[in-house]
Amino acid sequence: MSILIELFLYLSAGTFYWWWTQNLAVFGLAPNFIFAAALSAAILAGPVKAVAWGFFLGLYADMLGAGMFGGYALTYSLMAYAVYIVKRHFDMDSLFSQLVGALSLSWLCMLFYQMLSLVFFRRNPTGLKIFLTEPFLNALAVPVVFQLFYGLKRRFNIL
Amino acid sequence: MSREKDAANYAILFFAVLSVILLLFPTTKIAHTVRIAASYSLYPSLHYGAKYGYFVRNVPGNFISLLETDQENRELKSKIRNQELQILNAAALTSENERLASEMKISRSLPWSGTWARVVNKTPADWYGSFFIDKGSDDKIGVNDTVLGLQDGKAGLAGRVFEVYPRFSKVMLLTNSAASAVCAIAPAGLEALVEGKGTWLLKVNYVPEESSLAEGAEITTAPGGLLFPKGVSVGRVVKVYPRESFMNFITADVTPAVDVNTLSEVYVVRRHLPHELPGPDAEGR
Repeated sequence: MSILIELFLYLSAGTFYWWWTQNLAVFGLAPNFIFAAALSAAILAGPVKAVAWGFFLGLYADMLGAGMFGGYALTYSLMAYAVYIVKRHFDMDSLFSQLVGALSLSWLCMLFYQMLSLVFFRRNPTGLKIFLTEPFLNALAVPVVFQLFYGLKRRFNIL
Repeated sequence: MSREKDAANYAILFFAVLSVILLLFPTTKIAHTVRIAASYSLYPSLHYGAKYGYFVRNVPGNFISLLETDQENRELKSKIRNQELQILNAAALTSENERLASEMKISRSLPWSGTWARVVNKTPADWYGSFFIDKGSDDKIGVNDTVLGLQDGKAGLAGRVFEVYPRFSKVMLLTNSAASAVCAIAPAGLEALVEGKGTWLLKVNYVPEESSLAEGAEITTAPGGLLFPKGVSVGRVVKVYPRESFMNFITADVTPAVDVNTLSEVYVVRRHLPHELPGPDAEGR
């Protein structure tokens, strides 16, 4: 049962991000809910499941874009692993650490994805506007998504 | 803890390798298969997201529209009920009107602008001279307005307004011995003067002796007469008198087109005659 709920949550996260970008994007800017979901899952889930969530959410993000397929999957998988390492030393459940973590990991993910894109395709996929603003939006979105995931975890014993 | 770490290491290794394979060989069969599989697996969520997102996006507007429609629908239903009731009432009134008009032998389609009035008083001493109607200057009735009566659905000349008061008027009948009108005798349209005799009959006078005046000839108001509109039926010749030896004209008795004995409702035609036309006061002088 929980696997079905997780599957539903996974699809919902991707669809919600897609819907938000379609309807509520302001000046082409929107919080990256897939990133927020990957980070929240990484904080809440065990290491294997966290990496799996990162990978599959990344795959969803790859599917939404027309760039290199597998780039986000690798990025979010590594992010999940990094969070697994970091959360052994820091309390990632607190709001402040989530804000800081979301901000820093957003930039790190963007830089890593840019590096991958430059290596594999020799082009820069991220605009400056996105690079400068999206991490802040992600920092706002992550605590919300985290609370949602946390509530679902407690209620349905998922993640 | 170590097992968990090992599991994490294996997991990241597995997924990282998988990702790198997808990145390194984007055109290989396996990468292509994964891409297609992911697209087809995740496509329904986007498809239905798009489908229902459209509805979700329009929910507030649709809700308001629904409320307004409901409100409008209720108002329209109420209006329709009232309209249906009014139609039923109107149909009943029309039916009653037709029945009454038929029984009273009156016609509502007259080619003149005017107003209907009821005969409210007739004096026995002046039975063929005048009567009162219930409309006056408040209803824009003026002196010398033409008064028509209706008999068998046809309008006929009854007389003219003689005195006007705010809420009633006095009508001088054509049968009054002081009343007269320029008339045309059918079929030639010969003009003559029809006068009242103070009885139920009229008299047509000043008919040239060589004219072919015959009994049954219809008499209407003449185009040359200023006081009355032309073409109004005055009556029908019933008896032609031979020429008197000392006169150059012949006379005839005329049955009025309107029987003043049965007149209960009249139609007052507004004439808007010139002010200099001699009125009753002038006649009295």
